[in-house]
Amino acid sequence: MALPSLSSQPPTGSTGQLDGEGKPTLPRKQRSGSNVFKRLASDYGMVFALLLLGAFFSWQTWAPQQPVGTGAGEQVANLVRKSFPKGSRVLVAARGIPEDHAFATAAERTLKANGYEIAEVVRGAPIDARHALQRAIDGKQKVDVIAANSASAGWVIFQNLGTKFPALGNVLVVSPTTYHWPNFLKTDNLLNIANQIAVIAIIAIGMTMVIITGGIDLSVGSLIALSAVVATLFITKAAGAEAASAFGMTWCCLGGIAMCAALGFFSGVMITLFSIPPFIVTLAMMLVGSGLAYLFSQGQSIYQMPESFVWLGRGTAFAGIPNSVVLMLVLYLIAHIVMSNMSLGRYIYAVGGNREAARLSGVPVVAVLLIVYTLSGALAGLGGVVTASQLKSGSPNYGQMYELYVIAAVVVGGTSLAGGEGKIFGTLIGALIIATIQNGMNLTGVESYTQKVVLGLVILGAVLFDRLKHRGLFRFRRKA
Amino acid sequence: MNNPFFKEIADNIEMAAKAHNYSVIATSADFDVAKQQNQIKDFIVKKVSAIVLCPADSKAIGPAIREANAAGIPVFTADIASLDPQAKVVAHVATNNLEGGRMAADAMVEALGGKGNVAILDHPEVESVLLRTKGFEERLAELNKKPGNDVKVVAKLAGGGDKAKSFKVMQDIIQSHPDLNGVFAINDPSALGARAALENAGKAAQVKIIGFDGQPEGKKAIKDGKIYADPIQFPDKIGSKVVELIFQYLDGNEVAKQTLIQTALYRQADGAKDASLK
Repeated sequence: MALPSLSSQPPTGSTGQLDGEGKPTLPRKQRSGSNVFKRLASDYGMVFALLLLGAFFSWQTWAPQQPVGTGAGEQVANLVRKSFPKGSRVLVAARGIPEDHAFATAAERTLKANGYEIAEVVRGAPIDARHALQRAIDGKQKVDVIAANSASAGWVIFQNLGTKFPALGNVLVVSPTTYHWPNFLKTDNLLNIANQIAVIAIIAIGMTMVIITGGIDLSVGSLIALSAVVATLFITKAAGAEAASAFGMTWCCLGGIAMCAALGFFSGVMITLFSIPPFIVTLAMMLVGSGLAYLFSQGQSIYQMPESFVWLGRGTAFAGIPNSVVLMLVLYLIAHIVMSNMSLGRYIYAVGGNREAARLSGVPVVAVLLIVYTLSGALAGLGGVVTASQLKSGSPNYGQMYELYVIAAVVVGGTSLAGGEGKIFGTLIGALIIATIQNGMNLTGVESYTQKVVLGLVILGAVLFDRLKHRGLFRFRRKA
Repeated sequence: MNNPFFKEIADNIEMAAKAHNYSVIATSADFDVAKQQNQIKDFIVKKVSAIVLCPADSKAIGPAIREANAAGIPVFTADIASLDPQAKVVAHVATNNLEGGRMAADAMVEALGGKGNVAILDHPEVESVLLRTKGFEERLAELNKKPGNDVKVVAKLAGGGDKAKSFKVMQDIIQSHPDLNGVFAINDPSALGARAALENAGKAAQVKIIGFDGQPEGKKAIKDGKIYADPIQFPDKIGSKVVELIFQYLDGNEVAKQTLIQTALYRQADGAKDASLK
């Protein structure tokens, strides 16, 4: 096996571990023939936990849902037809958003086609409904029924109409019948979860690699803020602020990412050349990064961004999936290929498994560590750009404590803090588990103090579960 | 909700809404806008009738509010306003911080008998605090025009709005201004941090403190004579006012864009009468 050399250092064959044919062997080498499905299958426990959580929150958020749009409009028109004779005057009430426009249009069309009179179609706020009712009274016209969707039916204005508008007499409000479905399983919500975790999951790719090498990177949270501040500052100062072009913004964002990559590289240099523990180096860089972010921004948020800046964080260019989620999935795929099929991946595992052995077998340890920390910095920078895009502004207080959530995602995903083992897709599952728990607790109305306790226990539980699973696995391996 | 002020707003919203048979989901963003944005997205999925926000960042919260706008959910802000011109907020309810700052200046001149050197423990990152110090400085300038009055601001430093940082900053201020007579701290935690530093330096009797807020701990300190006075805020009124406005809105009435709740000066005599401190 030829080792593509990443540094000029030749394999120190004479003292290294060599197998029978004189080839260097790598400790804890990846099992061959890995593919996505096998990998997911080996993460079966975590996937199962994720599904279990999903099922639990689906059950907990089982709630009445309101039909929307055209279907709801037709349904409400048919309800009116059942209880009111032809020629009745109907007021259609809806909010001024596109979904409600479809509702109002469909209700109006269906009612008219069936011989009902439309008093007025309200598309707006409760105050518009009040004005419409007043106009009907002023014009000495009656209103027999109000066709509302579930949102407008809840307007306080439509309660006790008899006392508020005695001139109208007894007006009934008809709204579509509800059906049941878990809030958790709504498409919008599932996309929310993916979008909410995208930043943490992207950074967790770099963190997984760092942790597999036996290190840690505490600076990623601060680098989110730094990159967000640098990118937005470049856009306001150099790319024309609100008039910035997509091309200009891309370069500004790359600037932010490059800055973080440079800080990551610097951490790597400190760790490799001076053998300072990664914990200390990245702790220092966490302060440096945060301080720089505050310095550059002077403590203020930078918000003179063009509307198009939100494309990355909130836009949907592909099948309604947020771009940040697409980016996350693509990065995971690339990282998976790197970690399982490329020599860099094998080196990363080797360095974490046994650094000395790896060095002796010719793994360019220094280069591997430099690459990994630079990558971690760059991905944190990318996370910062995505955050800035989601919030359409940059601020030095972004990303506080995120390093802990990122590490939690990696650990819940089954990567050992001792280094040498872990899986990229495990981290994605770990991130999704954390996002699902947070989202589920928000949807079920668990208050925030309790949320923290639960999240802490979940992280502990996941590691415990992993430990127990591993013990069993190791025993099994020994027998084999 | 780490700050009891926000907790009281939320509790009063909950109480007032219950009277209308509405239920309230209260979440805390812990001053993290990204987290707050996610919480708003979760509210949108749940199709709530209205959202009340204390923005974690006046500018960065804009996109989240616009998302609620697009979902047809009315948004109200309490205490902290949104400064995004494109985000539609139905109404904003807050303390009249400018007037509160002016009251603080009145109390300061009263405490010092019209003469002395004062320091301001600032927290300029927050819009409402900027108004407090502005009101304080404006009113002080007015009062100084009266013959015999001469209260000078000799230092204005950021205390971070928290006890620990204000403690350190106050220690430094005493070093550079040993002749200090008064401190205006922009909230109770800063005032209490300053008090600790003054006690440490044996200057507690020499330097009078004016705080802001009227949190239970602050009120207790006023009662014990450790803080001279606070312009106090009424988070309970903010909470119940927001709910009142929500129902006015849903009932199809015009709603005032901004409602300011007045502060009131709270001195030691008020503390002695205060039943909540017994």
